[in-house]
Amino acid sequence: MNSSKQSRARRVFGWFDDRLPISSLWRSQLTRYPAPKNFNLWYFFGSLAMLVLVLQLATGLFLAIHYQPNPHLAYWSVLRGIQRDSRWGWLIRDMHIVGASAFFLLVYLHMYRGIMYGSYKKPRELLWLVGIFIYLALAAEAFLGYLLPWGQMSYWGSAVVTNFVTAVPVIGKPIATWLRGSFVVGLPTLNRFFVFHVFLMPVLLLALVLVHMIALHHVGSNNPDGVEIHENVNESGWPRDGIPFHPYYTVKDLFGVSVFFVVFFWFVFYNPGGWGLLLDKLNYTPANILHTPADIHPLWFFLPFYAMLRGVPDKLYGIMAFGGSFALLACLPLLDRNPVRSIRYRSVLYKIDILMMAFSFLWLGLIAHGFATEHNMVYGLHVTEVFYSTFLLLPFFNRERSTRAKVIWLVAAEAVVWLIDLWMYSIHAHGWDLMLLTDWIPTLYLLLLFGLAIGFPALTRDAQKLPERLTAGGIFH
Amino acid sequence: MTKQNAPRGNHPVLLALLVGLLAGFGGLARASVATTKPPLRPITVNLQDKSALQNGALYTLHMCVACHSLQGVRYSSLPKMLGMNRVEFEKVIGTNGKHYHDTITSTMPPAIINAFVKILPPDLTDIARRRSPAWLYTYLTSFYVDPSRPSGVNNTVRYNVAMPDVFAPMQGLQKPVMVQGLRFGSPAQVAIGVKPLTQGSMTQAQFDRTARDIVYFLYAVAHPHQQERARLGPWIIGLFLVLSVLTFLIYKLYWRRVITGEERWWRVGK
Repeated sequence: MNSSKQSRARRVFGWFDDRLPISSLWRSQLTRYPAPKNFNLWYFFGSLAMLVLVLQLATGLFLAIHYQPNPHLAYWSVLRGIQRDSRWGWLIRDMHIVGASAFFLLVYLHMYRGIMYGSYKKPRELLWLVGIFIYLALAAEAFLGYLLPWGQMSYWGSAVVTNFVTAVPVIGKPIATWLRGSFVVGLPTLNRFFVFHVFLMPVLLLALVLVHMIALHHVGSNNPDGVEIHENVNESGWPRDGIPFHPYYTVKDLFGVSVFFVVFFWFVFYNPGGWGLLLDKLNYTPANILHTPADIHPLWFFLPFYAMLRGVPDKLYGIMAFGGSFALLACLPLLDRNPVRSIRYRSVLYKIDILMMAFSFLWLGLIAHGFATEHNMVYGLHVTEVFYSTFLLLPFFNRERSTRAKVIWLVAAEAVVWLIDLWMYSIHAHGWDLMLLTDWIPTLYLLLLFGLAIGFPALTRDAQKLPERLTAGGIFH
Repeated sequence: MTKQNAPRGNHPVLLALLVGLLAGFGGLARASVATTKPPLRPITVNLQDKSALQNGALYTLHMCVACHSLQGVRYSSLPKMLGMNRVEFEKVIGTNGKHYHDTITSTMPPAIINAFVKILPPDLTDIARRRSPAWLYTYLTSFYVDPSRPSGVNNTVRYNVAMPDVFAPMQGLQKPVMVQGLRFGSPAQVAIGVKPLTQGSMTQAQFDRTARDIVYFLYAVAHPHQQERARLGPWIIGLFLVLSVLTFLIYKLYWRRVITGEERWWRVGK
């Protein structure tokens, strides 16, 4: 240590650094944390989701200050107190509303990125599982927060969801009453939802995100090529295809943040309701316990699950169907055990299956956006079958199958779908015409997938030669 | 670092195909709940037309507020919106006997509500966020005589409406234009328009203008921060657009060597 003037700052910093691992963390987690050099556009969404989490905490703090968790006051404390009476309250609330939807959009894209590039495969299974828990916590957070404005859709949406528990035989109803603190959604429900929304869930979310980050920095990032960069290091132990996270990915993420904020603030300033998708128009009516709306549906990010719930003509099975979709996501590392990680080097039919996964999810959302007619329910059931099969067929792609095995897979899968249909029909007979109108969807999907697999075996073949090094760098690669 | 190694390019095509399919199948989801809807009368809200807003405020605060409330709005927030000062506002429009800073609540006594109305009419604070201006405009001008209803009237856009035709003295009564259509998928006689039946105190053009002014006013109270949004929005969005360009240039600067594939240019890992 020299004793010049400029070293005083260094000495002060050194005092802290000796007592807190500031510089060592900075080095190990940022400036000397090796990240693959070929992250593309899909790798923006994780850091953006963290940004939105911070944004939601910051705006939520101010909203909680002005909000009254009491059914008599809640609606007007939001629509008058926050939106009109308090200065900039409208801006903070609109940011919170748009932020909630942005959070889900980013998390869905982030999850799909993980699916595309096989980021849940060894050694990242726990990283993926923690991510699923973050998603569940986020879903709970969004659901709890949606009750707080005490609008019509808030109220009846919460009434529907808290009634899920009553599907459990015998003990369901007492448990639902205990959860709500009341026989219907009311003051005790609003109070506890408020506390869970502003305290319990945010703490849980932050803790889970921290675990997610720790796990990520322990195993290292996957990348679009699915090549493990730590298996190819130079003489000093630095991965040949790795670049320091800071500054390379911090400058990349800054660009992502800027573009994200352009879109985000466009919604905040010019379209906070998002065509009725980000905030249901019915929520501009105060909750009325004596007036059930003709059509109760959740916000866009829960619509696919709502279609699954509605599609099954039995409450308990319906809840199992939509709960099962979370289980499917959690089980992804068990279902897809093919050693090839990235979709780039997987077979054509696998790519179709992964695309169908996203497509059927959007499709379900579209169906749930419509009214709860018999037709839409049956329609939803059949697209749910497609969504489920995109996951449950993943083991098929684990290795190359013989023609005989492909035929067996086809017959078994079709049989399972038709047996489920028959079972559902036995629960609630809605007419064969209605059933057959959309039953061709899962049938045709399976027929197409396995038909192509049988007719063109090359379509099930993964790339024979995997790259040893990363193929390209930069956002647009 | 060579780009041709990656066997890509077939999934964008598939993606486009699937997006097309999604758009196609979207129609299937709604087919079975078809309801014949009357065409909405077009309206363009002009928040700069202060005299229209003042006229709308006059009718809303003196007619609508007889039953409806606007609990989210304070009288004191109106003058600025209407382009008046407090004195003018209190003289021309007034506060229905309430304090200047009070919220706008229905002037109907609770006893009357309990005796006759039973159910409170909807609050109008955010009605223009719940419904589009065109819907509101059509609603206000499309009451028609329907003897099957307790109030004697019905509405083309709000079937079996509970509200009585309070505009009848001004607009006159109207008769429906019925067509054979669908209501929630079932065949039914549906009113898709109205024709004048009796003459009211206003001409059709005068009444349309009054209804338009009410819609302007309701839209203005439901969107109280349009000015701030319009003033602030371009700056914030512009700021991030500029930042996007700058951060992209910084990104390019930093990443030049990564993209060209120059090796061992980092000084880490020693």
